[in-house]
Amino acid sequence: MNSIGRLLSQQDRFASSSVRLILIALRARALLVLLALIVAFAILSPDFLTVNNISILSKHIAIFAILAIGMTFVVLTGGIDLSVGSVAGLSGMVAGYVLTQAFAHGGGVGVMDIADGVLAALLVSLAVGAINGWLVSKAGVASFIATLGTLYIARGAALLCSNGRTFPNLAGKLSTSVSGFAVLGQGRLLHVPAPVLLMLMIFAVFAVIAAKTPFGRHVYAVGGNERAARLAGIRVPRVKFVTYLLSAACAGLVGLIIASELESAHPATGGSFELNAIAAIVLGGTSLMGGRGSVSGSLLGACVIGVLADGLVMLGVSEFWQIVVKGLVIVLAVAVDQFQSRLQTRLLPFLMRSRSEMI
Amino acid sequence: MNSSPSEILLEARHIVKRYPGNLALDDVTFRAYRGCVNVLIGENGAGKSTLMRILCGAEAPDSGEILMHGQPIRIESPRDAAAHGISIVHQELSVLPNLNLSDNIFAGRELTSLHCLVDRGREDMQTSSTLQRLHHPLAVKTSAAQLSLGLRQVLEVARALAHRCELILFDEPSSALSPTETKTLFAVIEDILKSGNTVVYISHRLDELMHLGDHFTVLRSGRVIGDAVRGEVSRDWIVQTMSGHSARQSTPRKYRQDQPVVLQVRNLSLPGTAHGDVVQQPLHNIAFDLHRSEILGIYGLLGSGRTELLESLAGGRIPISGDVRLNGIALSMHSVAETVAAGIVVVPEDRQRDGLVPELSVRENIALAAAGTPWLSRSKEAERVYELIRKLRIAVRDIEIPVTALSGGNQQKVLLARCLLRSPKVLLLDEPTRGVDASAKAEIYALLRELADEGLSIVFTSTEFEETRSLADRALVLCRGRVTTELVGAAIQEHALFAAASPSIINAAELSQGEVAVS
Repeated sequence: MNSIGRLLSQQDRFASSSVRLILIALRARALLVLLALIVAFAILSPDFLTVNNISILSKHIAIFAILAIGMTFVVLTGGIDLSVGSVAGLSGMVAGYVLTQAFAHGGGVGVMDIADGVLAALLVSLAVGAINGWLVSKAGVASFIATLGTLYIARGAALLCSNGRTFPNLAGKLSTSVSGFAVLGQGRLLHVPAPVLLMLMIFAVFAVIAAKTPFGRHVYAVGGNERAARLAGIRVPRVKFVTYLLSAACAGLVGLIIASELESAHPATGGSFELNAIAAIVLGGTSLMGGRGSVSGSLLGACVIGVLADGLVMLGVSEFWQIVVKGLVIVLAVAVDQFQSRLQTRLLPFLMRSRSEMI
Repeated sequence: MNSSPSEILLEARHIVKRYPGNLALDDVTFRAYRGCVNVLIGENGAGKSTLMRILCGAEAPDSGEILMHGQPIRIESPRDAAAHGISIVHQELSVLPNLNLSDNIFAGRELTSLHCLVDRGREDMQTSSTLQRLHHPLAVKTSAAQLSLGLRQVLEVARALAHRCELILFDEPSSALSPTETKTLFAVIEDILKSGNTVVYISHRLDELMHLGDHFTVLRSGRVIGDAVRGEVSRDWIVQTMSGHSARQSTPRKYRQDQPVVLQVRNLSLPGTAHGDVVQQPLHNIAFDLHRSEILGIYGLLGSGRTELLESLAGGRIPISGDVRLNGIALSMHSVAETVAAGIVVVPEDRQRDGLVPELSVRENIALAAAGTPWLSRSKEAERVYELIRKLRIAVRDIEIPVTALSGGNQQKVLLARCLLRSPKVLLLDEPTRGVDASAKAEIYALLRELADEGLSIVFTSTEFEETRSLADRALVLCRGRVTTELVGAAIQEHALFAAASPSIINAAELSQGEVAVS
């Protein structure tokens, strides 16, 4: 190589290292944004980093995180699940209905009734997930439409459970020996709230599924190139079906947590939660086109949404402005995502070249 | 490589496959002999790829049966095919761009430990040993998106090799490979044969077929036309059987070279992309003149740059150099809108994807490009549409029916009508008769000739000898982005086209000099 060529390649290498830094920063942007938010709120509001506030904040995060983690696989296959908020509402109502019936009949079985309530709620949630999965993978309905439909169906069903009324006093009384439902939302283990523990467990399970199991790889494969996945022998409809089941199961769990926390079930619970979950997923860097993203990203995204919402409340920012800020953050996140992937494709041959030179 | 007669490994009997408006396979019986390279030959649309798709489980035949080792088997999905030891290297590459090499190779056939966890260590090891065997020691964690077209092909081959299979189907594997990569592929194929396995090979490159093939089966229009073994086969035999001389009925048009030049192209090059260690340029210093009333054919194999040439003439690709003049006025070649306004229109190759709007009626599809006035006048529009329908003899009674109700040939004419509505000076057609049956083909040829006689200049691309010969007044042959020869009138013959279009293995070194190494 002549001297000019060598000079050029040195410049290339210099440029490529700074470019690589930018790419890394862009990739870790959710984490950076989260840290920046925490620092900012800690400075602006002395109450932000108190144990009490962190405990409340972590419960809020847990709810969004469980929904977002559950839906991540659906989004990775290139689909979307709009029904999660309604499923959460329906799940709480089903549990409320079963528990209220148990109280009315004097109970007596105790823990078994609670197990019945929880089980019934989760089964109904799974049923909605199965409908979503069937509509998308077998009937070929676009996931947006299919889950928009079940969003309404599940919400309607939640209202029908009680004719629109709230099921109150779900904690039960020790005298009727039916109690303990409140543990799910209010319990603690080593000062850690139960919802947060559940969130961590679900995160661990989903992260292992994504990284270590054939199913996880199939999810990415379907999202990356559905045709190629089919030709590779992956059962594409089955993979999609299971993703909707998982999403609905997580949504059902969220419904139970909220009902347990409030000791009551309200049919309007979970309204617009799906949008928070999608926002968390997108903030976490998962592409709505499928194939690219991660479970940990969704967890981070949920943290950003939770911290932002709580912090703004503590700063006394008006509720209306909070909504505007949330919207801005989402739009910005997607714009940055587009910028990153474009930058990456443009720089790819360049980066590969300098890498092979270094080898 | 092995010419001794041997037992039949796989036999597909009386396979019939019908697509809407097209009989793709008409009672085809195909045998793959064990330990041999079984070559399948035919022009585009002859049914080779359809047969491959049936054998690998991507599509189900309408009737017929498949036997392996003499036993009837059912292949209903790619999984079934894999279970019977059949693997395929696809023509249209099917990699998962978001996954790494190891994930790509084992997607759908994971190696697991404890029955539920992916054993990445073992997968990575097998991946790297397979890539080693292919002489491409790539890092197994490389993302597939970073691979060049040629390396993606290598990945496909690796996927087929990494799994135990008795029969590997190669559907035009070399079309995206460089000469060196092709040589490696041949070594791998020999390796496969040595281990007692069997290969089915499809290619358009005669040299390759002559070099590799043991058994030859020729398909034409969905039927088996010829069958031969190594030794009986000559280039002439292949070419003649493939194209079928019975179709030679067209009389050459009176072509006058004294007509004025309408389109002048000089020094047209497209920017290259890095493919592994070489930069490949889709087009390299293309130059030609197009005269008034002339029909110019551009013949080339997959990857020769024919589509790229047409696209850049239409303004769809920005060239790095080039001087294109229409009637003496230079075009900037930077936007489709500009070239269309200047009078160059294109009929795309993929009607469904790039051409028609399926939801709209025949009238709306034809009038789509005619928005020259600020508002639409339905009656005037209908008048012009009817005029074109009569002129192009489109078989439609009601212009308000959806365009999808028409046959392939008539859909193509609808696109032609749309282009003619613009009163163009130059008409570009990418594969003008793709997916069109024989009689409709002849009609479209006749129409194009009429249009040329009226003063229109036409450029079309084709991968079929017969089409190029019967339609073109003059033909340019492209190979690896360069014009390798120019044939006029009666000189447009199969042998000449083929020789100029195939980068022969022997001359590989000579050709690869044209590719600029990066380092």
